[in-house]
Amino acid sequence: MKTRHELTEILDFIAEYATYLLGSGVHTSRAIRNSQRIGESLGVDIQLSSFQRSTILTVRDEESGEALTRVVKIPALPISFERNSDLSALSWDALDERLPLAEIRRRYALLIEKPRIDPIFVLVTVGLANASFCRLFGGDWTAVAIVFTSTLVGFAARQRMQAHGVNHFLIFIIAAFMASLCASVALRFDCTAETALATSVLFLVPGVPLINGVIDIVEGHILIGCSRLINALLLIICIAVGLAATLLMVKDSLL
Amino acid sequence: MEIFWNTIADYNAATWPAQLLLTGIGAVLTLLLYKRPSDAVCTAMKIYMAALNFWIAGIYYLVYGGPREYHRMLALFWAIMGCIWIYDLVVKHASLSRKGHHTLFAGILFVMPLVYPLVSLALGRTFPMMTSPVMPCSVAVFTIGLMLAFAERVNIVLAMFLCHWALIGLSKVYFFGIPEDYLLACSVVPALYLFFREYIRSLAGSASKPSPRVLNALLVVLCAIIGGFFVFTLLHQFNLFTETI
Repeated sequence: MKTRHELTEILDFIAEYATYLLGSGVHTSRAIRNSQRIGESLGVDIQLSSFQRSTILTVRDEESGEALTRVVKIPALPISFERNSDLSALSWDALDERLPLAEIRRRYALLIEKPRIDPIFVLVTVGLANASFCRLFGGDWTAVAIVFTSTLVGFAARQRMQAHGVNHFLIFIIAAFMASLCASVALRFDCTAETALATSVLFLVPGVPLINGVIDIVEGHILIGCSRLINALLLIICIAVGLAATLLMVKDSLL
Repeated sequence: MEIFWNTIADYNAATWPAQLLLTGIGAVLTLLLYKRPSDAVCTAMKIYMAALNFWIAGIYYLVYGGPREYHRMLALFWAIMGCIWIYDLVVKHASLSRKGHHTLFAGILFVMPLVYPLVSLALGRTFPMMTSPVMPCSVAVFTIGLMLAFAERVNIVLAMFLCHWALIGLSKVYFFGIPEDYLLACSVVPALYLFFREYIRSLAGSASKPSPRVLNALLVVLCAIIGGFFVFTLLHQFNLFTETI
């Protein structure tokens, strides 16, 4: 039987763990499964309901029946599949090795302190990925080169604005505008300018919220699924606004 | 092509006194940054750079570049760079707070705006239909030199903008046959390497992913590819391929 203090400690840790997962781009049912697995390893039952910005967590001692509930804010964290995978593995380790809470906490702290991928490395690889999109969509090599450097400009601007805490939607509009404006120089050259313009903003497409939204709806978490999809839709509209501003300035029309 | 040179001729004929003044102010501020760096000089240089970028946007592109296609787009491009300098000034970014580094290379870049007209003369052009010190590519080279010599922390958005402009300059070499712009393209590759090498060195003591060694190797590969691309363009420009065949 757990004391109230022990239950509170477990609840605090799982709240931190689950919100970290949800903030890092994990879909809801995976966060619930992982949290419940850790709860099972510690002899408690975990129930979790998640919304777009917060999570409600209940921990119940299976022996005494005592339950504690907390509402926790979900932090906005950079998406990291590697970290998500590590944290999922931690939940399996906790269950398989019957780890005590102190040990789970220690391993969790080590995992989240691991260095993130360097932002300059991310900048260059995103540039290469977007340039590859341009090639995949039929762009010639001049267009590919222009999309590469345009993406560098747009993504660098996005990184700087995120570091300065600028509004998320504004970031998407400005980054889309800057990337597409840079890509629009392709119109001056004899190359596949339309492809360059269209693909220059693809690095902004919110793939993770879109995928997670669909998975959440399919798995029955309709509310958060819809929230994620609406959020993704708003970001796509922001991209469209940025791209439209460039098109209206450069081509005097949207088509 | 003819429109391009005609607009340059109109611009040079009408603005040469202002260009001389701007060049003089730039030279004085650069010397002050080397000899007597202070907050006031840094601020003055940032204001000067913002004004220079707005000059290119307003006077060069909007007033005299009117006959060119997409001149408003290019004006906006330079206006954004001007705004970045203003932003830099407002948030007190440490982009000019280091005492002169890379003296030789930065020095070469600083005199490049004066080399541009000389290259034009060497290519047989005459005033006013020639490149001058206050034109987009000359200003871009000068900005790279400034960042290389004095930036404690490089403004990465500005660096990427200049990288993009260098690519456009290179494309102009390729498509429009304007070899003067090759000077900018040539200076961007080593400058980018130096920017990022310093950034990687700053990571040396901390845990980063990938490791600084891997990052450095990737940087060398990337710069080698871009450099190779530039060399290919240069060879194409001088028709060396057809001569060897």
